[in-house]
Amino acid sequence: MTDTARQENPVADAAAIDDQPAIRLINLTKKFGEVTVVDHLNLDIRRGEFFSLLGPSGCGKTTTLRMIAGFSDATEGTIVLGGEDVTSVQPHKRNVNTVFQSYALFEHLDVEGNVGFGLRRKGLDKSEIKRRVNEMLELVDLAGRASAKPRELSGGQKQRVALARALVNRPEVLLLDEPLAALDLKLRHRMQVELKEIQREVGITFVFVTHDQDEALTMSDRIAIMNNGLIEQSGTPEDVYERPRTKFAAGFIGTSNLMTGMHSEAVLTLESGLSIPLPGHPELTQGAAVSIAIRPEKIWMAEFDPGMVRIPGTVSATVYHGATTQYLVDVAPGVRLTVLEQNLARSRHDDRWTDGDTVELGWKPEHVVVIG
Amino acid sequence: MSTDLQDAVAATLPGAKRQSATRTRLWGWLLLPPAAWMIVFFVSSILIVVALSFGTVNANGRPAFGTSLANYQALMNTTYLTVFIRSLVYSVTTVVLCMFIGYPVAYAIALHGGKYKNALIAALVIPFFASYLIRMYAWSTLLSDEGLVNQALHTVGFTDGVQFLNTPGAVVAGLVYGFVVFMILPIYASLERMDIALIEAGKDLYHSPLRTFFAVTVPATRAGVLGGVLLVFLPALGDFVSAQLLGGPSTFMIGNLIQQQFFESQNQPLGSALTVVLMLALLVFMVFYLRATQRQNRET
Amino acid sequence: MAATTIATEAKTTHSTSRRRRSVEGKPFFAVAFTALFFVLLYVPIVVVILFSFNSKKSLSVFGGFSNRWYVQFFNDEGLQSSLRASLMIASIAMVGALLLGTMLALALERVSSRPARAVGTVSLVPLVTPEIVTGVAALLFFTGLGLKLSLVTVIIAEITFSISYVAVIVRGRLSSMSGEVEEAARDLGCTSWQALRFVTLPTIMPALIAAGLLVFALVFDDFVLAFFTTGVDPQPLSVRIYSEIRLTISPAINAVGTCMLAVSVLLVALSLVIPRLFGRKDSSLDLISGG
Repeated sequence: MTDTARQENPVADAAAIDDQPAIRLINLTKKFGEVTVVDHLNLDIRRGEFFSLLGPSGCGKTTTLRMIAGFSDATEGTIVLGGEDVTSVQPHKRNVNTVFQSYALFEHLDVEGNVGFGLRRKGLDKSEIKRRVNEMLELVDLAGRASAKPRELSGGQKQRVALARALVNRPEVLLLDEPLAALDLKLRHRMQVELKEIQREVGITFVFVTHDQDEALTMSDRIAIMNNGLIEQSGTPEDVYERPRTKFAAGFIGTSNLMTGMHSEAVLTLESGLSIPLPGHPELTQGAAVSIAIRPEKIWMAEFDPGMVRIPGTVSATVYHGATTQYLVDVAPGVRLTVLEQNLARSRHDDRWTDGDTVELGWKPEHVVVIG
Repeated sequence: MSTDLQDAVAATLPGAKRQSATRTRLWGWLLLPPAAWMIVFFVSSILIVVALSFGTVNANGRPAFGTSLANYQALMNTTYLTVFIRSLVYSVTTVVLCMFIGYPVAYAIALHGGKYKNALIAALVIPFFASYLIRMYAWSTLLSDEGLVNQALHTVGFTDGVQFLNTPGAVVAGLVYGFVVFMILPIYASLERMDIALIEAGKDLYHSPLRTFFAVTVPATRAGVLGGVLLVFLPALGDFVSAQLLGGPSTFMIGNLIQQQFFESQNQPLGSALTVVLMLALLVFMVFYLRATQRQNRET
Repeated sequence: MAATTIATEAKTTHSTSRRRRSVEGKPFFAVAFTALFFVLLYVPIVVVILFSFNSKKSLSVFGGFSNRWYVQFFNDEGLQSSLRASLMIASIAMVGALLLGTMLALALERVSSRPARAVGTVSLVPLVTPEIVTGVAALLFFTGLGLKLSLVTVIIAEITFSISYVAVIVRGRLSSMSGEVEEAARDLGCTSWQALRFVTLPTIMPALIAAGLLVFALVFDDFVLAFFTTGVDPQPLSVRIYSEIRLTISPAINAVGTCMLAVSVLLVALSLVIPRLFGRKDSSLDLISGG
């Protein structure tokens, strides 16, 4: 998979300006000594999209961002920004701006001074700077705090100043390095919505680095899942959630029931001996090892449709979550599936199933995702 | 030929011809002036002291470099050895006294200072940054035969008067007064860092506050005490002002001998040898100190 | 038992203000001892100040308030030129040490090469070297080079000694400043030089002011280094006082001493207060208590 990605040469016809991506990374590699942190990365980020780099810590997402910003040199490869090779251009000459994880506000300047910093460096005249700064403070809802010093602001307000300070320069691309990580849960959810709204309003390309899958799913137009310096999969949130292409992608985003076994004649035989019907996959070779993934909410426990795959099991644990109930169901020795049931009004029971109940699980064949 | 070779080698290195986007040589350049200054004015001047300690004084009284051990041999007589031992005794006494004075003070401020803690520390620090010389001079007038202390003693009946100046006690007192803050601050810092729960646990375990203090508090602040010992011992051993103003020839320390060689006897090589001896003594002490702190780190 | 509970409550309520309540009962010995300590600490200073206003020419009998010793001090051309010399030495040494010490701190915070670490270690050595050693070394260095001892040699020696203080204070402040702040500046259009000029230096300015004041106070008061490196005329104030004390007892010295105490107390107090005015907890106190 990664091999094919490496062999691709995504350098497109430079004449097609409209199709030109905002950012194109070609074989981008970063090594720290012997350790390869980013490994021949190829990626196009389209103009105006909200793009997330999602992955666990140490996967290379922040390093990639820092190379795009120019804070870190690429060991190999090319960074093309708006059609121009910027690989060896210094950070202050790149038309990108960054929102840092620590906010990195300038303590000695007030909010207005922070937001206007980039414009002053560009040498814009004072009235123009004033106008754009006010406009931006309005946008991030900080109009009343123009003369506050950073230390007088709350975490959420600092976050907005950092955002305004970057956006006011109207960069081609805005880079955001886990900007919401330091906020508490409630504020984080609010900022997610606001950030998305602001992005729609200004129409600037956002490259958003995060390790939080929910954040990536709810905010992004497209997501790239990174692991060990490689992109495991990229696509729309629906793509990567519904059709994970690797075990890592299936496991990292949401919960997945992963099963690996031998495939023959539309049946997957697990190590434990359990046979799972696997219809509708003529592309699979006979006798090959195959992994499948099924999302917990795609498994039914009652009111089955015809055509569903059905297997028996025993409930081993139930966890009540309010809107949903999670069941852990043993279907074979050592094979435990997670099932998520909505607690709908019409199906209200005190406890539909309890531990030890024998149940039947069913799913539609099209909800089974076959992984490599 | 050689350029061809260089190009060939360069071509094999991945990214060898890449230009760095970060290019921050600025920091390297910033290091240069202070590094040069320290090497020229500090490192090389210390080396000159070491070199001159092997030198001689030539016929017209001027110092000359050489390879003679005469200066060190000259130090091996009872006059000098007495001074060395006296310096050590005074310094060690000073350190011990500073410990016994500094610990309760640091303890009281750290654990019972309440909201005045910062003010008390400031009140402690400020006079110590004020002129050491003036403070020593103040003591010399207070302790002199006609000074305020003797007057006070006179009014309460000690009509004979007490001679304070020119005694070892006065010199050590001056050293303690001069450097005790360097003992208090590290102990204070380590008391501040100490987990208060330790004392509570200790009270449950040992029942008596005094036993808790020795079993819990003192070991937890060992690093601070060791730091204080270093910070007091170093300046005390090299001091000459206290012995000059509060003492006399019978209480002279190694610092006074060095000062004499440079300003009275004009024997710079001998003065250098004395300085080297002082540096060696401090170096030995530093090695023991580092060993002790390393042991401390291993234990905790 | 009850005491423990109260202590725990006190700890939770005050944990944000980092204050500690008495947990071992009141050790009257330690508190009384500390009170006595502070009295002894300030007695000589108070006596110097008091007797500087003495109308009599005595250091033990107070005969009423008078400013005669101050008048004498301000009319003594020798003392005045020494005062001017000391102020000049302290000012120039402050600027020089700030410049070099800040450069050193900035470089050491960012360059981690072997030579840089070596320079970092060497720069700490003057802090643990007795002044007499530094003084002897400087004296031999200058005479060895054939330089005539003067205020210039004092200034050079004082700068060498003070660089370490500045570097330690400034590094302390820099290490609490996120490296991302400088990157943010470069991200917003600054070259690395401009980032230093427009962001880093303004951010650490309170620490620089505190370090400068401290160096001024230390150098202005310093005796040992000045004693070894000064020429004959004019001599720094501290050296001048030293020779006067040894020769005669003059209450005018009390007036000079009071002025010197006033200058350094003011400067040190300011250097403690200034970083707090800028909303920072750390100050030059960390130099000694943190190490």
